[in-house]
Amino acid sequence: MSAAISLEAVSKQYGPKTIVHDLSFQVEKGEIVGFLGPNGAGKTTTMRMIAGVSTATSGRVSVAGYDMANQNEQAAQKIGYLPEHPPLYDTLEIGQYLRFVAKVKGVPRGEINREIERVCLACRLEDVRRREIYKLSKGYRQRVGLAQALLGKPEVLLLDEPTAGLDPGQIQETREVIRKFGAENAVLLSTHILPEVTMICQRVAIINNGRLLAVDSPANLQRAAEQSNQVALTVRAPGADLEKELRAVNGVLGLVIHPVPSVEGVVSVNCQIEQRDGIEAAIARVVAARWDLYRLERQQPTLENIFLRYIQSAPQKANEK
Amino acid sequence: MRGLLAVFQKELLIYFRSPIAYFVVAVFLLGTGYFFLYDIFSTGNAIMNETFRNMGILLITLIPLVSMRLFSSEYTGRTMELLTTLPLKSWQVVLGKYFGAVAILLLMTFGTAINLVPMYLYGNPETSTILSGYLGFILLGMACLAIGQLFSALTQNQIIAALVTVSVLLAFWFIGHLKEFQSSDTLRDLFGYLSFANHFGDFIRGLMRSEGVMYYLIVSAIALTLNAGFLQWRR
Repeated sequence: MSAAISLEAVSKQYGPKTIVHDLSFQVEKGEIVGFLGPNGAGKTTTMRMIAGVSTATSGRVSVAGYDMANQNEQAAQKIGYLPEHPPLYDTLEIGQYLRFVAKVKGVPRGEINREIERVCLACRLEDVRRREIYKLSKGYRQRVGLAQALLGKPEVLLLDEPTAGLDPGQIQETREVIRKFGAENAVLLSTHILPEVTMICQRVAIINNGRLLAVDSPANLQRAAEQSNQVALTVRAPGADLEKELRAVNGVLGLVIHPVPSVEGVVSVNCQIEQRDGIEAAIARVVAARWDLYRLERQQPTLENIFLRYIQSAPQKANEK
Repeated sequence: MRGLLAVFQKELLIYFRSPIAYFVVAVFLLGTGYFFLYDIFSTGNAIMNETFRNMGILLITLIPLVSMRLFSSEYTGRTMELLTTLPLKSWQVVLGKYFGAVAILLLMTFGTAINLVPMYLYGNPETSTILSGYLGFILLGMACLAIGQLFSALTQNQIIAALVTVSVLLAFWFIGHLKEFQSSDTLRDLFGYLSFANHFGDFIRGLMRSEGVMYYLIVSAIALTLNAGFLQWRR
């Protein structure tokens, strides 16, 4: 059986501008994949191509075995999509809105009520079904959007920042809904919230400037990141001299120096070092001999650091090509 | 078919949950009532000709208010994304919306029937002429709605959609007058044929010609086809 979502060398251009470059990855059934990237990285564009809002300029997008280029109508039956801004009709009541979506999704007439009840229960909307959508808070709007996506038992769920605008309790509930759904179906969810990814996703796809940087499980990414270590220091020193001294230390692979904005003369340094003991000590000796050393710290490869490292190293990779 | 029906029901629901439909229908019925009073009671003739003509012009200025939101509001409300990702074909969306708007048109039309009561009570009107006028009126409204819906699909701004629609409809209404300035017979025929007012005039006089029926239906079909084609192309 083919993957629930499959992207093969997908690119998207708007005029002369390429938003997504040569993207390939798969999401299998029973899997929740997190889609990570800074704003403007191409996450939403990619989601929209998978959902069938727009078509890829080149490459192949397929969902549930259907090619989105020409079989998007069959695929649409299998997709539940929650865009970044929940697509709601403000003048309708929640129940009326969900009924419309259920009908269009082809839920049999006799089952519409039961189906609406099911998604309302899952998204905690039972008590507000008669409320007009324009009166809802951001959190409720988000939940109505999610309920809409869950209608008609789709096989693939595409969620563009599903927990944005929710309070912590609601976030917890929403994650539970996604996890439950993802146990049997495929979920691709984009997010800025990194802990969310470690909590509910089996795999992560990191994207920046429209290029895929890594796809792996959060644990594997963490392990890979441990292979190259980082040391952060804060020093009162002139940048040029400091750089010269540090580069001379055996085991330092590279470094980035930026001034600390609030304190004059103080810089913070990120050192990339070899996987070997004693390098921090060597750095400390060299720096402390000439200047005031305020802080020296071996950085833990949290997902945040991994993410930032991938994002920061991306432009160099692009240039190498 | 179910998809089309669902879109149709949704459109009607939205029309009646916002003030615009009530407003348009109320203004139209008030205006029509006035024309009716003025044209019939002041002349003492049980003839609807003048009333129908005025109803036509009133329709052209009010229809854009009905059609302007059809697609523009889907763009600004970001619900177009929902319609494109749901299992709906472009033509289902276009026709579902169109029939929703036509339902408002029919409501406006049947609302004016109250004016006929005193006419039939105290006069002796010619039923076939009146029926023909009503048929022409509905066909005219359908063509106007199709054009309005097309312009609504082309812009996110409802006001722009309404203004462009009203300009285009007025142009179609008055284009017949250009006829008088033309020396070439072909151009004279063409301008005459394109005129909304000329065909409507035939219906008002009781001439239910297939040419007139076809004209309005073809205009509607062209506008709706362009509309569906545009949605397809947007993807």
